[in-house]
Amino acid sequence: MANDIKISIKNLYKIFGPTPDVALEYVKRGMNKADLLDQQNHVLGLRDINVDILDGKITVIMGLSGSGKSTLIRHLNRLIEPTAGEIRLDGKNVLDLNEEQLRQLRREQMSMVFQKFALLPHKTVLENTGMALNIRGSKTEDFESEAVKWLARVGLEGNENQYPHQLSGGMQQRVGIARALVSNSPIMLMDEAFSALDPLIRSDMQDLLLELQDELQKTIVFITHDLDEALKLSEHLVILKDGEVVQQGDPQDILLNPNDPYIEAFIHDINRARVLRVRSIMKKHADNDADYAGDIAEKDNLETVLSRSGGDTDKIFRVVRNGEMVGSLCMKDLTRALVPTVASPETNHQG
Amino acid sequence: MATYDSLFSALGLEDWCAKGKEDGPMSMADLLAKSKGKDAEPESLWDLPFPSMDALNDSCAAFPQSRELTKGLEQGFLAIKDNLSLVLDPLTQPLSWFLDSALYGMLNTPWWIIIPIMLAIVFLVTKSWKLVALVAGSICLLAFIDYYVYAMQTLAIIFVCAFLCVLFGVPIGIAMSRSDTMQRLTIPVLDMLQTLPPFVYLIPLIFLFSVTESKLYGIAIILYAIVPVVRLTNLGIRLVDKDVIEAADAFGMTPRQKLFKVQIPLALPNIMAGVNQTIMMSLAMVVIASLVSAPGLGVLVLRGIRNLELGVGLVSGLGIVILAVILDRVTKASLARINASQKQ
Repeated sequence: MANDIKISIKNLYKIFGPTPDVALEYVKRGMNKADLLDQQNHVLGLRDINVDILDGKITVIMGLSGSGKSTLIRHLNRLIEPTAGEIRLDGKNVLDLNEEQLRQLRREQMSMVFQKFALLPHKTVLENTGMALNIRGSKTEDFESEAVKWLARVGLEGNENQYPHQLSGGMQQRVGIARALVSNSPIMLMDEAFSALDPLIRSDMQDLLLELQDELQKTIVFITHDLDEALKLSEHLVILKDGEVVQQGDPQDILLNPNDPYIEAFIHDINRARVLRVRSIMKKHADNDADYAGDIAEKDNLETVLSRSGGDTDKIFRVVRNGEMVGSLCMKDLTRALVPTVASPETNHQG
Repeated sequence: MATYDSLFSALGLEDWCAKGKEDGPMSMADLLAKSKGKDAEPESLWDLPFPSMDALNDSCAAFPQSRELTKGLEQGFLAIKDNLSLVLDPLTQPLSWFLDSALYGMLNTPWWIIIPIMLAIVFLVTKSWKLVALVAGSICLLAFIDYYVYAMQTLAIIFVCAFLCVLFGVPIGIAMSRSDTMQRLTIPVLDMLQTLPPFVYLIPLIFLFSVTESKLYGIAIILYAIVPVVRLTNLGIRLVDKDVIEAADAFGMTPRQKLFKVQIPLALPNIMAGVNQTIMMSLAMVVIASLVSAPGLGVLVLRGIRNLELGVGLVSGLGIVILAVILDRVTKASLARINASQKQ
């Protein structure tokens, strides 16, 4: 799967208030969020967002509440209209679509999973799952097999004829995911999909999502306020603060080279050994000369390597991909990478 | 001399006032004043009358008196009445047919068919044998004391009027929920319908339609009872969970699909609460409407008042209470069933 750009967001602005166009001028001249609210009585939702969402990857947009992440995801299917900017899906500007084309896009291109599940309480699990097909005009008999298949895939066999209120939160969200999958759209928007679930169930659901993603390779845009979740799921991480992108890129890279005190504060409590992977800190070379203590895979996390080394910092491991050597990892580098990043501009990146 | 003479002379309107002097009806007070001879002395400030229409008329005969206002209103109404009833008569004629045929049907079908049908309907909407027993007991009691015919007349009128209230009220409520302008325009009308004393509805209707027509009381009942179903439909749709609406949008529902697949089903508990209120209010109005020849238990109440027949009045009042209780219980029970199937 190539790294094609599926959705490209360019210079996106969103300002809430009675005359957003006037306020936009002030924002473009550099007025900040607090001043805009004070002097112009407009709320700055998003400022100059430029994000590329890669085809077949999970892009995670992370930020605290009020950072504009939910606003941003709702721009992708135009549940919220932007004040300025463009959103290109496969090169076509989504903002040019008329009402009918937009409806078509929502039905066939993008499905959505919600924080509060948003299932129809008066419909059975089966009918909820087939909602996307029902909207396109299929009868229950037509979508039943498809819906049952995906319900089974998310682990809800035998619950088809129950009502949403009879299920637990985790099971309801499984219905939400099945509903999004049944629509067979290439893009899935997940708005804090797991935030309302308790930690154990959340972890289960993350595993389920990764498993499904392995199989289906959808383009997933995932919103979260939880860094652990973001690091676990993301292949591309976008960090938002007060409606602006603070940093985006490979999550490993962000962890090793945070460019903002805000992000440092964020990653301070992270278990770095579990999140960082061998590929981000290894030395790349093919010289098979040194005395290697053993082979490790480049996608192993540092915790695995640590336990294999038994705590001996003198060891050097050979890093292999598909049986071929791609580099080496010295335990000293590993230890250095585990030192929490502090506010100094110097970094521990060994890349 | 009257108090406000100086006002009109200051405005230079004496000529205009003088024109009105010639004749015009004389009020009793004027006659009395004339017979006493001279007007009283100019009043002190303490007795200064409010510059009302009558007070101003004292000073300037051309100024209209307040009774001319009510009279003018009446004449205006009479003037448009013919044209108005030309339009309204055919429009409302079906209401008369509905009411007459419902009354005819209920009264000419033997009791041993009507009562089982009603009990079957009660069971269908409530699925509760206890309620069926309550309704059966109540109706048999009313029939036993020979109030069966009156009770059936009242019920027939309520069924027709409540049905029409729902038929018109729900779409109006939906329209209100979709447009804030519509809501702003409709709410004052609803407020007025709800606060206007029920007797006042009857006055213009008596002018418009003949008292022998059943649509006269039909319209009065519908106007009075339609308010709750409109209000609660509007409220119910506006209260539908925003998240579910957003999901409906995100999956590409058309506005029509959203209305029928999401908004109305989720608003149903509120709409049913409105229907319950509407039925109770039609029962209240059907009693008052007996003043304009609505048949049923209200006629007996009226007889009780007119002829001071205490017993008749009390028993028919009790009959109305029994009808109110069974209608309320049955609609509440079906509302509870809808609620149970929808809890989140």
